[in-house]
Amino acid sequence: MRNRLGVVKWRIRSLSERKLTTSARCFKAIDNGSEIGNNFPARAAQCPIKVQRARSTHAAVGTVLDTVSSAVKSWDEVPGPKPLPLLGNTWRFVPYIGGYSVEHVDKVCMSLRQKYGKCVKMAGLLGRPDMLFVFDAGEVERVFRGEDAAPHRPSMPSLNYYKHTLRKDFFGAEQDCAGVIAVHGDSWAAFRTKVSKVALSTSSAAQYTVPVAEVADAFVNRIRQIRDENLETPGDFLNEVNKWSLESLGLIALDTRLGCFESVEGSESQRLIDAVHTFFLSVGELELRAPWWRIYPTAMFRRYVAALDTILSVTLRHVERALKECEANGGSKSLLQDLVSAAGSRVAAVAALDLFLVGIDTTSNAVASTLYQLALRPEVQERLHEEITKVLQGRPLTPGDINQMPYLKACIKEVLRMFPVVIGNGRQLTKDTVICGYNIPKGTQVIFQHYVMGNSEEYFTNASEFRPERWIQRSMYKHHAFASLPFGFGKRMCLGRRFAELEMHIVLCKIVQAFKMEYHHQPLDYHIHPMYTPDGPLRLKFIDR
Amino acid sequence: MFLKNCLRIFSSARIRFLLNNNVKASTFVNYKSVASLSTSKLALESEKVKVTFVLNDGKRLETVANVGDTLLDVVVNNDLNIEGFGACEGTVTCSTCHVILKPEDFERLPEEASDEERDMLDLAYSLTETSRLGCQITLTKELDGLEVKVPETINDARS
Repeated sequence: MRNRLGVVKWRIRSLSERKLTTSARCFKAIDNGSEIGNNFPARAAQCPIKVQRARSTHAAVGTVLDTVSSAVKSWDEVPGPKPLPLLGNTWRFVPYIGGYSVEHVDKVCMSLRQKYGKCVKMAGLLGRPDMLFVFDAGEVERVFRGEDAAPHRPSMPSLNYYKHTLRKDFFGAEQDCAGVIAVHGDSWAAFRTKVSKVALSTSSAAQYTVPVAEVADAFVNRIRQIRDENLETPGDFLNEVNKWSLESLGLIALDTRLGCFESVEGSESQRLIDAVHTFFLSVGELELRAPWWRIYPTAMFRRYVAALDTILSVTLRHVERALKECEANGGSKSLLQDLVSAAGSRVAAVAALDLFLVGIDTTSNAVASTLYQLALRPEVQERLHEEITKVLQGRPLTPGDINQMPYLKACIKEVLRMFPVVIGNGRQLTKDTVICGYNIPKGTQVIFQHYVMGNSEEYFTNASEFRPERWIQRSMYKHHAFASLPFGFGKRMCLGRRFAELEMHIVLCKIVQAFKMEYHHQPLDYHIHPMYTPDGPLRLKFIDR
Repeated sequence: MFLKNCLRIFSSARIRFLLNNNVKASTFVNYKSVASLSTSKLALESEKVKVTFVLNDGKRLETVANVGDTLLDVVVNNDLNIEGFGACEGTVTCSTCHVILKPEDFERLPEEASDEERDMLDLAYSLTETSRLGCQITLTKELDGLEVKVPETINDARS
């Protein structure tokens, strides 16, 4: 009963389902669900407004009072694996010896939850602040709501080093122009404000519908080309999805068709793809294993810096070119041009760099994961196909069409609930905070374990089952809004969310329109690589419809 | 479009500031808007509506707002003291500008909530049937006299 009983009445003409069911739930709260009346607007109006949310209010008051009462336990009492003297807990991530593998942090987190409870301390990681893993959605909600103006998101000391030490000439040349990734405090807030109004406005993404759909069409053709005689994709299909993702992002961030599908070994776009992949692979290793790179540049660290340099130089070249075109054409109609006119060219370049750093692998793995899950479920594909056909009726996709496809959106939400590409999110506490009844000191990194929470019966009915309907008929399924937050929440929510969603919705729409998907090989387990993604060759069978 | 919005927000903030603080400046602004080429914009800017925010403790903040502004603009431009309101600056990534409307007002809003707004409302505190995000409600002339409730926040529970 922790979930909201959905008292919102959505005013949607085409989707009365949601409206009916949410209010049905509300009746249940009053009269034990005796009837779902026809006169529901009148009854709904009587619905006592804060019936269920009042619960969490009380919970909040309770926990807040805890701060002053002596019931709050100290940081030392938080359960968790005991660090060894000198070695701390880092040794646990050493291959073969430690038992915790970086590739399977998902399973480590699941077992930590079972072994220690809803909040677990991971202390003694070499060169890092202590971490607190939180598995309680109610506490996640409290921490997010208590956030101040510039929440501190613990991320990537290595990138921090790159931006603020190694290449400080570039990133520090103009005030508040270091970007959003691995940047904090006032500098982050100033940059974010410049960019977020452009990037996150609900209309800015929609204007890319047609060009992004063109890229998706090209991807559909590419799938036709690369299929073997059994209509199956080759084992490195993920790299093809990466190309699609990079092509789409190039269009959004740089106004350029990079030509990724035609790219060959050694071409600029393949170098960019490889660099982004190297960046991501090494980030996990550099961050979770012992940070030797702080003492001397390890081979991994050198590869990492080289990759970042490649991304930076390619991005800059494209931004410069786009700027020239922008001057020549005049007018402001794209993200890049909007950014340039709102905040200047350097901000635009750095924003584009950040988009490339975190916007390619994330989106492509989410799509790969979704395609794999759909290939296992022909009935979901049929329902999707029906919805898409009904909305489009044979005409090309236009902005706004996707909003008429609730099931399509629900499918992505469901995949990201069960297999979030980023399994957790985090904050570095800017003040002492009580979490789960423990006093957590300022500076601790709090990691919200969304993968574990999203797959927990406590927050979702039949959590282990793939049911997109749960996001539409909300009242029939238990659901805690803060348990599954694939894009985060609040001031530091994913800056690329609107674009990522647009890309995913459109490509999925196009693929389902064109193919039936099947999968005829060993079931794939998921692993962290470094996104949470199916482990093994994605040999999907694409059958033309 | 963004640039236009930006200009609009900026200029209306400036105009309000000048109006509040300097009579001469306001004449100047009026002169400037007369000189403006766009007639529709002029009409928009000259139209005012009354809006009331009722806070959780019963305090009423009554204010005059421009047609075309969002409720979040109204709070920001008039420096209304509502703690934590609009943390994400209208980018629909938080739910701190959550307001509760009277059912009749809710029904007559010109625009329904978008999917993005719904996703965020799902994360709002003290959610109701007639909840909306203030940053997504644009004032029209018809909404004159609008009264909205600013629900309890977790910060209220704390104090």
